[in-house]
Amino acid sequence: MDKRTKALRIILVAAVALVLVRLFVIQIFEHDMWVERAEQEHVVQYTIPAERGEIYMMDGGEPTVVVMNEAVWTVIVDPMTVDEEATKKLMDEVAKDKLVAEWKDVFADKTRRYYIVAQGVKRDAAQKIREAGLTGVYLKEGNARVYPEGELASSLLGFVNNEGAGQYGVEQALNKDLAGENGVLKTVTDVNNVALSIGDDNVRVPAKNGKDVVLSVDRNIQRRLEQILAEAVAGSAATNAAGVVMDPMTGEIWALANVPTYDATKYSEIKDASVFVNTPLESAYEPGSMCKTFSFAAAIDQGKMTPATTYTNNGYLTVDNWKIENAYKGQLGTITMQTGLDYSLNTSSMTALMLLGDDASQITQKGKNKLYEYYHDKFGFGEYTDIELVEAKGYLTEPDAEDAYNSRYANMTFGQGMNITMIQLAAAFSSVINGGEYYRPTVVAGEMLENGTFNYLQAPEAVRQTVSKATSDTMRQMLYGTRSYKRTTGVDKPGYYIGGKTGTSQGIKDGAYTFDETVGNYVGFGGATKESPKYVIMVKIWGDNAKMEGEKDAMPMFDKMSDYMIDYLKIKPGES
Amino acid sequence: MRNEYISRRGGMATTSAWSRNQNTVRHTGKRLGKVSTTAIFGLMVLIVGLIYATQGVKATTYDYELSEIDEQVADLQARKEDLAVEKARLTSTQTAASSEVAVNMPDGQVSGYAKE
Repeated sequence: MDKRTKALRIILVAAVALVLVRLFVIQIFEHDMWVERAEQEHVVQYTIPAERGEIYMMDGGEPTVVVMNEAVWTVIVDPMTVDEEATKKLMDEVAKDKLVAEWKDVFADKTRRYYIVAQGVKRDAAQKIREAGLTGVYLKEGNARVYPEGELASSLLGFVNNEGAGQYGVEQALNKDLAGENGVLKTVTDVNNVALSIGDDNVRVPAKNGKDVVLSVDRNIQRRLEQILAEAVAGSAATNAAGVVMDPMTGEIWALANVPTYDATKYSEIKDASVFVNTPLESAYEPGSMCKTFSFAAAIDQGKMTPATTYTNNGYLTVDNWKIENAYKGQLGTITMQTGLDYSLNTSSMTALMLLGDDASQITQKGKNKLYEYYHDKFGFGEYTDIELVEAKGYLTEPDAEDAYNSRYANMTFGQGMNITMIQLAAAFSSVINGGEYYRPTVVAGEMLENGTFNYLQAPEAVRQTVSKATSDTMRQMLYGTRSYKRTTGVDKPGYYIGGKTGTSQGIKDGAYTFDETVGNYVGFGGATKESPKYVIMVKIWGDNAKMEGEKDAMPMFDKMSDYMIDYLKIKPGES
Repeated sequence: MRNEYISRRGGMATTSAWSRNQNTVRHTGKRLGKVSTTAIFGLMVLIVGLIYATQGVKATTYDYELSEIDEQVADLQARKEDLAVEKARLTSTQTAASSEVAVNMPDGQVSGYAKE
């Protein structure tokens, strides 16, 4: 073999060896990197979005949807390539009400290649835009919440923001259940981006849709309550009102209303964020004289007094050198506790506190301990109720705290010097009139299953006994007594057992109580007979610099709502 | 190699000795040439390749059909949801309260209850 042939052979062997080495490196050492690059070329991964669960309310015992999902499109234009006139003309024709940008702004800077011009465009309009086939006009599909009931219960329901997260109300509190879990689709695609079934690494994890939540709130009761609150606000100097209607025998909330309401589809346009607040749960305040119900119940339950117990009403009591007066200046002299409650005399509830401490002439530590035990441990004031939504805790001064002055506890007997929420008060009031059982207030009744049936989840949960059945019977009678003139004047329908208590709490301005701004409250119950309360209603009305009163402003709201509940629940008149 | 059986009955045979055993055959062997073998092998590879390609195309065609059906399902589902929204709007208390019939309806009065 000549030298040239040998050299050629060596070169060939070396070249083959080089190729083999390179192949070895690619196949063995760089294997993962090349596989990854190949996958990037022809394997795509999609997120399969989970559908957000719908929200239902009750409608006479049947669930009915009040928050739904709807496919909507966002229209995006590329100012550099788009046909200005044709695009303007088309958009004005099919989606004028959905435009979110001024055309002059859109075309002001043509180097900007991406401008959102319309949002929330409906299917038909999107179809027309697509069919027009305009260059530089793009459609992006998304989902939006729909509210068939309009602004009904807006602060209870909350809304879903642009990132798809629930904010405020049910949407926020139950976001985890409602949101579900997105799925994944990983697949080989062809040049047309069509998923192909070939390939060993295809992955399909289906999306887990969110739960369809059913609230215990009845949309008819809710609407009527909102209507009554709105009428009261419109007819007074108040700017806000709130209300709760609940079943005292189960703790189920039938209505939870705030006025003013807002349009959840336009939440971003709201200037005053206070409308998002679900007042009955989230705002702790001084409830005023409605609390006499609880100081009386405590003293009766301890066997320290009866409705017929008498005391001397001088129109005021001096505690810690503070003169604490009655709002009503009459009924002086020796009167019964029933009269004290009827006229909402502060001296009567302070007397109840003194009786709790076994000394009718002064407030004692024992009396404060007992009142706190009832208020906090039994009625749950200053503690979360554990309702499913966001709620405030409130505040109650412990009897051995540094600032647990006698005067503070005297004030607490008529609902001042303490902070609680409407839901805390309504739940406690329910226990006082239902036989003494405290039910955890609940707003979630269950969920809708995929087959369209309603799965009732919540069994009534009696948490504790607050007062004895005998005390509860007595308290119903006393609260019934406070409305005697309502019966004689024909406000209360004959044949029904309706009772309640007013509350006018002073506003606080610059850290001091003021009579220039007061909050009107009322809490009451109703039913056919003394033994069968069917509903509890609590209402509150207030406003900046508005002097709202429990009797004049809040009680008429209760009266109207109570009438409605009797008709709506088809309660037949009983033997009162 | 191919086996071939050729009858020994000649067309010209007239003797009785042959007519006694007319089915006897002569066993001979024939080999295919290299070209024929290569051509047949090539054809077989081609057929197998075509079958593979056909199956691949068929799978892709199914994928396209599946993709179209998926789109149709999604479209119908979306339309169903649109209708559900419309139904909810039409049956909402808001619509009912603001309807002309509701606006002109007098308040109901309870005239009495039947005694049980």
